[in-house]
Amino acid sequence: MNQFVTVTLNGLTLAALYFVVASGFTLIFGLMRVVNMAHGALYLLGGYIALEIQTRWFEDEGSGLGLSLSGASDTEYSVFAWFVPLVLATLIIGVLGVVLQQVFLRWNQGQDLRQALITIALSVILADQMLAYWGGISKDIAAPSAWPTSITLPGDVRFGFFRGVVVLAAALIIGLGLYLIIKRTRFGKIVRAGVDDRDMVSALGINVNRVFIGMFFLGAMLAGIGGVLGGTMISLAPGQDTAFLLNSLIVVIIGGMGSLGGAAIGALALGLVDAYADVYLVFGDVDLTNYSIIVTFALLVGVLAVRPLGLFGRPA
Amino acid sequence: MFRRSHVALVAACAVFAACGSESNDDADKGADTNKAAEGGGGGDPIKIGFLSDCEGAFGSFFEPTASGANLALIKYAGAKPAGEKPTDGVTGATIAGKPVEIVGYGCADDTADKAIEETRRLMEQEDADVLIGPLSGDEGIAVANYAKEHPDKTFVNGIAGAQDSTLKVQAPNFFRFHPDGAQWSAGLGDYAYNELGWKNAAIIGDDYSFPYTSLAGFVAEFCAIGGQIPKRVWAPLGEEDYSSYISQIPEDVDGLYVGIGGSGLISFIKQYEEQRGRVDTERMLGNVFWDDPLVLKEVGKSLVGGVTSAMTAADSDSPEVAAYIQGLKDNYGDEIAGAGPSVFTYGYYTGMTALIKALEAVGGDVADQSKLQAELAKTTLSGDEAPWGDVKLDSNRQAVSNVFLKKIVEDTTGDGVPDVQTFARVNEVDQTFNGAFSADTPAPDRDNPKCEAGEAPPWVGKAEDVSFAKK
Repeated sequence: MNQFVTVTLNGLTLAALYFVVASGFTLIFGLMRVVNMAHGALYLLGGYIALEIQTRWFEDEGSGLGLSLSGASDTEYSVFAWFVPLVLATLIIGVLGVVLQQVFLRWNQGQDLRQALITIALSVILADQMLAYWGGISKDIAAPSAWPTSITLPGDVRFGFFRGVVVLAAALIIGLGLYLIIKRTRFGKIVRAGVDDRDMVSALGINVNRVFIGMFFLGAMLAGIGGVLGGTMISLAPGQDTAFLLNSLIVVIIGGMGSLGGAAIGALALGLVDAYADVYLVFGDVDLTNYSIIVTFALLVGVLAVRPLGLFGRPA
Repeated sequence: MFRRSHVALVAACAVFAACGSESNDDADKGADTNKAAEGGGGGDPIKIGFLSDCEGAFGSFFEPTASGANLALIKYAGAKPAGEKPTDGVTGATIAGKPVEIVGYGCADDTADKAIEETRRLMEQEDADVLIGPLSGDEGIAVANYAKEHPDKTFVNGIAGAQDSTLKVQAPNFFRFHPDGAQWSAGLGDYAYNELGWKNAAIIGDDYSFPYTSLAGFVAEFCAIGGQIPKRVWAPLGEEDYSSYISQIPEDVDGLYVGIGGSGLISFIKQYEEQRGRVDTERMLGNVFWDDPLVLKEVGKSLVGGVTSAMTAADSDSPEVAAYIQGLKDNYGDEIAGAGPSVFTYGYYTGMTALIKALEAVGGDVADQSKLQAELAKTTLSGDEAPWGDVKLDSNRQAVSNVFLKKIVEDTTGDGVPDVQTFARVNEVDQTFNGAFSADTPAPDRDNPKCEAGEAPPWVGKAEDVSFAKK
């Protein structure tokens, strides 16, 4: 029973992280039909920028080669030492997203394949630059030292505090915030109208370019926040960019491209299937847990067979 | 092993049907060629390629491994460090009057394909005569197979500990001057069954050849004398999220043998603490990584009370060990010397020492390497050459040596890092475990060796009590 609760919580927290990252991906796609293949690179870069700020501003001066398996030091971190990098990294990634859109994608509006290829190229270039600068060893962003490492839930189930409380709460707040932005603001109204009929919105005299800028800022920011949360909860390493791009793709393909609710459901499905398959894929003496990733793709195939546009998808 | 990043890239390519290949050319940071020829004797230089990991789960061991190899050149070939960092290289090395050149410090990432890519670069493009390396299990098997295809060159293993690279591949020009992962576990099964009274134990390890080997040594010994292994859990190497693997570890067993290494071990220990409250070391054994200085520095406090084994013992009081550590300190400072008792530093040190000794004996002749290979096969190490215990090779060119059993104890030296207390030594550990492993038995993997009662390895019940006096 304890095991089941822990595994479920694992799944939920993974789902929370997937949701934060994938919501940015799906919003950009929904409005602009841009499949931003550099989303994973923005995720990883966001994490690395936060790590860089944390190390430079908040860490005690180290000396020597800094030999360390996890890249951590003995510094005590205040709450600021986590939040300042979070906010700054998020904003920097947001601005970077806007630059990316204005410089590379704007003049290719409507050319899906070309945009996808441009963003793939950018993600490969970014991945190599990050490898060159931050190296190939996985690194963690430190959570504030004052936060407990774990909490005990009823029934004597222990679970990581950052993972169980901070990431889950962040996902709920972000989900609620996005819902309010989309449903209750003028920006959200234009976005929703744009998702249905871009040309009409533009014909009504609305400056679509400004809305696109806003959308890319928001979408990239979500990748950045995801990077900082993921870098603290799990860690940052080369390869995480493509891993999270793939996760985001699966989430939005399951949920339906462009749908926020779909992203939530898709993230939950992916996170829980991931977690359960890792543990419960044992039939008598046959232990198939090593092949659990296949179940993830089976889920994808299953959903697409029944709903080709995803659970909440609508034709473009 | 599935690598999600690769899957993702393939998926991305599949979606859009066009995609460049991801190149990591910028990764070989330490690969600067450094000419050591100046000041040496005449003639063509002896070219040595160095291969270790600077990326992946063991990337942090890059400088320590280089320091071990360099120290051997400094002590036995008259080299001088060329810079503060070990991978800055050495200058002025000569063997049998011939100058020695390290053609590059190759950087792999614990995967076989990257190790082979770097081996090719060092051996074929940089034209090295001899390779020292690699670091990790799968890499070792791959390099041993490469060696088999290139009989005119010679390969001395760095610290890769998979059993297959000597026992199964049997390349006549591949030499390993340190015990393999199974040998390092010798004595632990005996200790668990007879001292701790375990009747059954679960094992958890990284899902690749070295932990298979490391845990195989424990399983073969523990089961031979009557123990049971009800559950084996495998997680990908360098995994960052162990939560689902930790939930698979049964609670109703007497003990757990942990074969997780590198950066993953740090995540594992932290997450085990989060999930189970504390690391219950009184019912745990760890493999070679547990008392590695880098691990102790980061999570040692959680590991106090745990028992582990390997070929080095940080608390040793022998003058040879002290001289070895002092050598590292004099040349590279405290941080590198602190990692001196790591098997990673030590494996490259003994490997390079053996190589220098054999090259010296054949007059530095690398044109026809059959003489060098014959010489290496009969090379033995003792005294300062192998401060933690004499080394000789068996007929598969695999080391036979001793192993220490150690307990991790509270800090006694005042540096805030827990210490190691050695309590036993197992002598003359050979690779076959009294025939339990041979070229014909299945290679260690997720399910092998099977847990079967049988004839115990010769050292069971014969571990020698050891107590290094505190100074």
